[in-house]
Amino acid sequence: MCLHGCGIKVQVVDGVAVKIEGDPSNPDNLGKLCPKGNAGLARLYDPTRVLHPMKRTNPRKGLQEKPGWVQIGWEEAYEIVARELGKLRKDDPRKLLCAIGDFQRILLWGWPAVFGSPNFFTSLGNYCGGSYHPVNGSVDGSFAAINDYEHCNYWIQIGSGDGFSSHLHLSGSAKRMADARMRGMRVVSLDPRCSVASAKADEWIPILPGTDRAFVLGMAHVLVHELRRYDRDFLRDRTNAPYLVISNGDFLRDSEGKAQVWDLQAQAARAWDAVPRESMALEGAFSHEGVKVRTGFQVWMDILLENTPEKMEAVTTVPAETIRRIAREFVDAAQIGATIEIQGKTYPYRPAALNYYRGSQSHANGLFDNMTYKLFNMLAGNIDVPGGHLGVPLDHRGFFISPGEDGMLKPEPHQLHPAPEFKYPPDSTHLLEWFPIGFDAGQLNAETVLNPERFGLNYRPEAMLLYHSNPWWNMPETDKIEKIFHSMKFVVAIDIQETESTQWADVFLPDCTFLESTLLNCLEPPAVTGHALRQPVVKPLGETRDAYEILTELSERMGFRDDWNDFLNIVCGYTAKPKYLLDPDKRHTVDEFWDRYARSIYGDHKGLEWFKVHGHAVRYRTPEETYLPFGNLRIPFYFEFIKRTGDQMRVKLSAVGMKDWPLDNYQPLPFWKTSQVIEDGKAGYEYYGITFKESLHTFADTMVMPWLSEVSDKDAIHGGILINPVTAGKLGIQTGDRVRLTSPAGSIEGAAQVVEGIHPQVVGVSNTITRQVITNKRVQAKGTHFNRLLTGSMLYTDSATGGLESTARVRVERQGA
Amino acid sequence: MPIANIAALGSTRKMLGFSRQTLEFAGSTVADLLRQMPTRDGGSLYDILVCEGKLRSDFAIVVDGLSLKADQLDLQLHGGEEIVTLAIIRSLAGG
Repeated sequence: MCLHGCGIKVQVVDGVAVKIEGDPSNPDNLGKLCPKGNAGLARLYDPTRVLHPMKRTNPRKGLQEKPGWVQIGWEEAYEIVARELGKLRKDDPRKLLCAIGDFQRILLWGWPAVFGSPNFFTSLGNYCGGSYHPVNGSVDGSFAAINDYEHCNYWIQIGSGDGFSSHLHLSGSAKRMADARMRGMRVVSLDPRCSVASAKADEWIPILPGTDRAFVLGMAHVLVHELRRYDRDFLRDRTNAPYLVISNGDFLRDSEGKAQVWDLQAQAARAWDAVPRESMALEGAFSHEGVKVRTGFQVWMDILLENTPEKMEAVTTVPAETIRRIAREFVDAAQIGATIEIQGKTYPYRPAALNYYRGSQSHANGLFDNMTYKLFNMLAGNIDVPGGHLGVPLDHRGFFISPGEDGMLKPEPHQLHPAPEFKYPPDSTHLLEWFPIGFDAGQLNAETVLNPERFGLNYRPEAMLLYHSNPWWNMPETDKIEKIFHSMKFVVAIDIQETESTQWADVFLPDCTFLESTLLNCLEPPAVTGHALRQPVVKPLGETRDAYEILTELSERMGFRDDWNDFLNIVCGYTAKPKYLLDPDKRHTVDEFWDRYARSIYGDHKGLEWFKVHGHAVRYRTPEETYLPFGNLRIPFYFEFIKRTGDQMRVKLSAVGMKDWPLDNYQPLPFWKTSQVIEDGKAGYEYYGITFKESLHTFADTMVMPWLSEVSDKDAIHGGILINPVTAGKLGIQTGDRVRLTSPAGSIEGAAQVVEGIHPQVVGVSNTITRQVITNKRVQAKGTHFNRLLTGSMLYTDSATGGLESTARVRVERQGA
Repeated sequence: MPIANIAALGSTRKMLGFSRQTLEFAGSTVADLLRQMPTRDGGSLYDILVCEGKLRSDFAIVVDGLSLKADQLDLQLHGGEEIVTLAIIRSLAGG
């Protein structure tokens, strides 16, 4: 239901779970609980939940076709699935397309790879994390990031609900945000819509979608060229900003390959580790053997020259004076040069930071967006220091820290798997092999599966595994997704409830909810580390089974349980602790699996039984674990490795005849450039369409839960299309009027809600709405389906990361009351 | 002669024909050990995992918890080390 692992307590009376509340002993959520957690009971006991394996009897498939489910036993269900997928595996395992969205069971995500298929995508991650995670991993070995709730005094929030409505461990984060506000922290929120964060912020700055980067570039211009206030020591001593760059964008290197810096005392280029820091030039252009060289910092300074607040005002619609004022307030609050002592150790103290997430960087130039926000924070010297912008590790293993080249931290754009190697013809339908620094661009399936030859794919997928994933709802290009479903010979779904996508399933395998199954969870905790136990509070309802058990049984029946166990050995980290290795010849129960996992991390005295008694082993991260995790290694300011990766891709793709494949975003520094979604405005799509949601929902699962649906029913903004009064007046639209939005990809309709809290050039469509396949009669169908407006092609995809454009340009037309 | 405790995962398990084994070997380095690990096809694990003196990028060797870099095959073994061999699985993704 959610990525994160809030500590909860469940009251059970006569074998029936009757109440869920936050566990006050768990420092992650501090006893708090969001609406989703509270509503877990509604999911557990939903009378329309699928409780038995089912097979389809209606051969016709489609959204409106009833599958004609009939209940079958597990033996028959397993036999059908193992037979159909087993045949495919012998033929060509790549023909299995897998959409998996169970983030708490992230250890199971490798099942498709063990099956032999590279075709795994989340159908979700490319929206928010496509560009976000690679940049976090490259900057400080983190997976996510958050400002320092404890010490920050000035928080710029751009397109994010952190601390207010969404993202990292909301329940605890909301408390931390409230505490910070109580001690006087100021929040400035940049958002096209008056979001929850904007409504509660000290200041809301409406902005055009996809232009947040321009706002921040404008602020960077002010710091660098107008105020000339930035943390020179941090940039010179802790980043590669002083490294010299030659005209082609590469670092100047000596005969040994060492990056060079400019020695101010010697007035010469020398190896980065041969020059005392105080003699290292941060700014400037120099002549080296008759060739002009500039520091990496100087290169960005030169880029920023063009990004005056006045020019950025024209892009963003934010007044130049506002850009200047926020930049000034930020740098004043940053206290550059200050230090703070924490537990006997002195750290730089920079209590001002810019935080961001999906809304501000899920765009076709998302790599530049992420780089810009990081570099802006670096100007204040606030990366991973008290008060600043902190990396958040993927899990309990902490930051990915190891030395790279030139005294740098080794960039880790991939933390869920090794970097994909280039291959042509590609194996994966989402072309993972062509995104060496990116994530799974699941949206590209809409292009490649229907036209495999165009991309060199020498096969077509024939079957799908849906595991807590609803591509029909979650992905762009709905019509193409339907065509993909129709092209499948066999579809199997592992899920809790029926969805739009399971309408195409041949077999439905019912999974347990989080209240019926065992798991140790630790994923992206912003302030703490450690695991919380999710344990069954009631016996699994009906014949539901744990997904681990289902996937293990299927592995066994298809003859690769040994490889499945070996895969789990790798992802659980047992290669470093061989005594815990799973026996490839043995089937391990769910409890055995998690007991071993617990003991491998916490020692043999803290196995599953210990967790059943204590609930969790969650503690606050120590200052040493939180601040400056990269030690004396430098972090990238100038992303030379990205530029170099692009150069290599250009050679590889040209060699196989793919000369037109876009590679333009492999740049070492961010700058302002337009994007297709902005260009679409010239084709008559005058307005920007955005979507939004609140803490009520995660992904699409929760939209069909009666309690949560009822809460969103009570707020009119979730049932309609938000339009600013100025725009509504211009178009003759009133609240309640039927409105059609048309983008280059498709059209949707909904009821207009005229509200002040949205930018005049923007229309907002709530994602906190119901879906199209609703089995529970207490959930009312309402709202519309924003993803139909999005396009999944490379034109709307970041060419370096695979991140998806989540904004659509639209025409707005009144259809009548 | 030193003794190494070997755990072979995935395709290296299939090549070697065992999952866990204690091996006595002549020499003192990881490369020495690999040369003395016969595979089912009649060669040695060294022949498969090593290319031009370096560990291939699609395989990994972990010695007492430390994952070897490609050029670390000359790492000295003193006996009693826990060594895991495995093939890299690349096809994970997410976000």
